[in-house]
Amino acid sequence: MDYIDKYPDELGKFGEFGGMFAPEILMPALNELTEAFNRYIHDENFIEEFERILRFYSGRPTPLYYAERYSDFIGCKVYLKREDLNHGGAHKINNVMGQALLAKKMGKKKLVAETGAGQHGFATAIAGAYFGMPTKVFMGEIDIERQAYNVYRMQILGAEVIPVKSGSRTLKDAVNEGLRFWIANLKEYHYLMGSVVGPHPYPLIVREFQRIIGKEMKVQILELEGKPPDAIIACIGGGSNAIGAFYDFIDNSNVQLIGVEAAGEGRDTNKHSIALGLGRRGVLHGAMQYLLQNEYGNIIETHSISAGLDYPGVGPEHCYLHQLNRLVVGEATDNETLEAFKNLSKLEGIIPALESSHALAYLEKNKDMFKKDDIVIINLSGSGSKDLDIIKKHMEFSIK
Amino acid sequence: MTDSNRILELFKNNNERRFMPFLVAGDPNMDQFIKLAKIIEPYADILEIGIPFSDPIADGPTIQEANVRAFNAGVNTKTALKAIKTIRSETEKPIVVLTYYNILIQGADTIEASLDITFKNLKENGVDGIVIGDLPIEEADLTLKACEKYNICLIFLVAPSTTEERLDKILKVGKGFIYLIAIMGVTGIRDTVAQITKDTIKRIKLKTEKVLPVFVGFGISKPEHANAIIDAGANGIIIGSAIVNIVKKNLNDHKKMELEMKDFVSSIMNAIRRVN
Ligand SMILES: Cc1ncc(COP(=O)(O)O)c(C=O)c1O
Repeated sequence: MDYIDKYPDELGKFGEFGGMFAPEILMPALNELTEAFNRYIHDENFIEEFERILRFYSGRPTPLYYAERYSDFIGCKVYLKREDLNHGGAHKINNVMGQALLAKKMGKKKLVAETGAGQHGFATAIAGAYFGMPTKVFMGEIDIERQAYNVYRMQILGAEVIPVKSGSRTLKDAVNEGLRFWIANLKEYHYLMGSVVGPHPYPLIVREFQRIIGKEMKVQILELEGKPPDAIIACIGGGSNAIGAFYDFIDNSNVQLIGVEAAGEGRDTNKHSIALGLGRRGVLHGAMQYLLQNEYGNIIETHSISAGLDYPGVGPEHCYLHQLNRLVVGEATDNETLEAFKNLSKLEGIIPALESSHALAYLEKNKDMFKKDDIVIINLSGSGSKDLDIIKKHMEFSIK
Repeated sequence: MTDSNRILELFKNNNERRFMPFLVAGDPNMDQFIKLAKIIEPYADILEIGIPFSDPIADGPTIQEANVRAFNAGVNTKTALKAIKTIRSETEKPIVVLTYYNILIQGADTIEASLDITFKNLKENGVDGIVIGDLPIEEADLTLKACEKYNICLIFLVAPSTTEERLDKILKVGKGFIYLIAIMGVTGIRDTVAQITKDTIKRIKLKTEKVLPVFVGFGISKPEHANAIIDAGANGIIIGSAIVNIVKKNLNDHKKMELEMKDFVSSIMNAIRRVN
């Protein structure tokens, strides 16, 4: 395949997906952001500073760890890309440090972001503190409740958490409210999008800052195994950890790329977030993408045990890669995810985020796909320490 | 299609100052909405009707809540269009629809085919123009084609942040009038008319004078605002949130809702007509 660096086109399109379906009032700001990004991404000093921050502040490169006991359990060679070991406990830091640095160069003074799980909000709050930029984070009321610890973390770091009471009161509406706020405060604020979603240039910007995951992986697996992996598996919410891990392998068609969506209570119920697998093409938050929507084009409420995957759409580039048959789309239910969460914790001493546990669950369900010597990399996008309130409801913790 | 368009007809006649009030279809329910539309009609030059969307990012809380009330009353695009048809059967004034792009691209496998179905429907139900909250000029090609085919005006939004270059592009293809956003923000009531509003009207009018009339909206809630905006050079004013607020305030008393509505729209019309 000859794909890398060809998309998006100047209009922000990945095939028919993506684009800039944004209110007119935002367009000049989006164009300004595109220009600045295109300039700085080729600026050696900018890249050097970005990489220095990731190295000395976030602790990159993150290890590619051979999970021996988990491999025995699965029946192939399983490596974990330890994004959970980043500062902040997730891959989100890669993107926020890049965007905040860019915002600073553009002369923006403050940051505004949406958050679902609170991981992106937490990461943005870190960037706000690091760069001395006051930070506002919009978060759905339901998510505030189910991810309380991340709310405290953001507040400790000095960010202002603004509860979103409209619509589904989860990630989708946090994006709506965040964008509304930005529309009224374009001069001072940079909108720090948390995933490869939204209008152009966000899917491009976030991908480029997350590509570091796959770039490191490529070097690391060559060192450890002398060859590329047979498959990479990542969970997909908006799709940032997945595209970060996949991107530099896209042209190598021997590497299977598997994205796992949240099947919630099951694909036959109406409580899931299977946008790629079950969605129809539509426009939300500025981009053409696969969407969970009713026959009239109104967005329907989604569900997942993990707040970070609870989103009715998916990044436009994933839609295109799916259409090109380059991306395998899988899914895992809440229950399968909880099983995998427990398995990895007990077998490896690593508590994975519920989001990342979807990728593990897919592998556990489909272990027959892989032979003993096959190499599978799981992108362990985050740590599960943020999820204890949810886990508490699903595990027995009494001390006898 | 060769039949005429009521918006274009309206502007042919003279250059009076115009008033376009806005209601969300089905707010607070379909019957009451139709009743309100009829109350407003004599005072309006153009009627603007919102087809509700679940995620209206350009709208503030007032209009979002109106969308929610409509959805809760069981409204969808189909029933909204049916209501527009009912209103059309009683008025010859132009009707403009305001909605979001995703509402328009449903019904067929391709975007083109979906737009064709939608615009055919809009035309058949008596719609003359459309404003699409999340469709900038860059993404408008397919929609422009459908609008042309069915003789519906695609009315573009222009903001204080719109550059001269963008404005030129918009003026090339926009039809009917320019919908000028008065402030940098989402829809909702403001207390005063900001300097940026007046400055923007002047800036935009320089370019649009012989091309398209300029209507100003977002934030207007009082006859004094309407006056100030007309004095700054606008051809028309658009009022949304202040009208929707009258619905919201009187959900338990529909008689009062209707009286207040009539008083309000007549006060705005009088303020505008004064200038002529
Ligand atoms: C740990 C973790 N993984 C994955 C995601 C999903 O986002 P994305 O698909 O953009 O990687 C989130 C989102 O909050 C997250 O916190």
